[in-house]
Amino acid sequence: MLEVRIGDMVLENPTVLASGIMGTTVSSLNRIARVAGGVVTKSVTSEPREGFKNPTVVNVNCGILNAVGLSNPSAKLFAQELERYNGEAPLIVSLAGSEEEIPELVSFFPMAQGFELNLSCPHVGSMGAELGSDPELVENICRRVKKRTSKPIFVKLSPNVTDIVEIGRGAERGGADGVVAINTLRAMVIDVEAGKPILSNRIGGLSGKAIKPVAVRCVYELFETLKIPVIGCGGIITWRDAVEFLMAGASAVQIGSGVFYGTSIFKSVIEGIKDFLVRKNLSLEDVIGMAHRN
Amino acid sequence: MYIRIAEKVMENPETVTLYFSYEFPSVPGQFVMVDVPGKEEIPVSLSSESSITVKAVGDTTQKMLNLGKGTIVGIRGPYGNGFKAVEGNKLVVGGGIGIAPLRYLVRWLERDIDVVYGVKTVKEFIFFEELRAKNVVFITENGSFGEKGTVIDILESMDLGKYDQIYVCGPEMMIASILNLFEREKILPLTQISVERYMKCGIGICGSCCIDPFGLRVCVEGPVFNGEILKNSEIGKYHRNGSGRKYVWKN
Repeated sequence: MLEVRIGDMVLENPTVLASGIMGTTVSSLNRIARVAGGVVTKSVTSEPREGFKNPTVVNVNCGILNAVGLSNPSAKLFAQELERYNGEAPLIVSLAGSEEEIPELVSFFPMAQGFELNLSCPHVGSMGAELGSDPELVENICRRVKKRTSKPIFVKLSPNVTDIVEIGRGAERGGADGVVAINTLRAMVIDVEAGKPILSNRIGGLSGKAIKPVAVRCVYELFETLKIPVIGCGGIITWRDAVEFLMAGASAVQIGSGVFYGTSIFKSVIEGIKDFLVRKNLSLEDVIGMAHRN
Repeated sequence: MYIRIAEKVMENPETVTLYFSYEFPSVPGQFVMVDVPGKEEIPVSLSSESSITVKAVGDTTQKMLNLGKGTIVGIRGPYGNGFKAVEGNKLVVGGGIGIAPLRYLVRWLERDIDVVYGVKTVKEFIFFEELRAKNVVFITENGSFGEKGTVIDILESMDLGKYDQIYVCGPEMMIASILNLFEREKILPLTQISVERYMKCGIGICGSCCIDPFGLRVCVEGPVFNGEILKNSEIGKYHRNGSGRKYVWKN
């Protein structure tokens, strides 16, 4: 009833673990994969990265701010970690780096069923947002990655651009199988006692409740223009949030910060969507993009 | 939240307890994320409902030693899953600075408690007067006070079967030996053990502190775990740094 197809990828249900959340060890990914329709790993780069110093995460009233700094043990070591993946849901490996580096990372991950290109990390300059705000660069990277793999690739889009649809079009032209909208919004919190930003990187990315309306609008706009599927992400905490994204045009949704409320969030969102479909006598296909037709 | 240091007590030249004029809604074993501006934010166990106790082992803890009364620090939490109270005879086992959360526990449990507390040399003991009022076996590795040897030596000579629950906190190698001993004695299910891992968010999302093989988060499902869960885990074998890279413990 909740099965979703995105390119060649079949998700048992439309909930996917977002990148950067519980995605450092394979054992935590295995844990989520038992329930979620798919999992995305933390982004990997060619060289190991320790990331920024703590504080890297700070809660605010309306969400969570983070500047973790793409910490990862390198593609090579992370691939060894992923050898023990339980395969209970499609595994999507998130890749980050420069235009030259990203395509080289693909071959490390034979166990991946797809790749997500993190071209929108808001707090690591050369590796993220700069790439993701140039539609031609996005197109080129997608083309180069597609040459290396026949597996589906997704581009994670940044909301920190003038027109997200332009970037989405670049991804589509480059052969991407879908886009993921949105990554975090650039944000800051200041410690008024110390008179300085709390995060060690000063600027971070805002996720959670606060960004949901922004994310829903982005999904809506992308769905209007693109032919490839859109995956929604940003502030999903309840099934109602998820259905909102589906109605805006998302084929699936990613849950990240919502894990703060417990790992059972996937189960409750899945069950909630099921109940909604039964109550309204609708199929998932009916709901996807519904807001455009009404 | 931002809290002013109400009182500062030097427990020994390298260990300090910072008291706040605020009682954290907490149970023993829970921790807070402490942000001393300009230093790395770190997780620290509560040593009472209104205090934290740290030993200077890194940049942030060194700085905390030098913070004056009245200084404001940033605190997130309390977070995590603490110790659970149990009826009957209880044994509390602490090694080194691991005594800090156990001091809160001992205050909280109040009665029917025996304590085993080991350090390297007599100078390291903290909360000494307070603990002396309880039924405590003090141990030093060099024999400078109390029993000579390690916590393990003493536990091996004790009748552990008489306890309904055993609580443990200390260095990872001590915990590894204790897990082996508890397994031999077939008492793992009756134990609650507090462990440490590199932590970033403290709120269960980043995944830095997950322990294999079940992906349990030290900051949410832990830091206190049942011994049975830990026996078959990475504890005592390896840990990870900020990048997620594994490091095998060396004895």
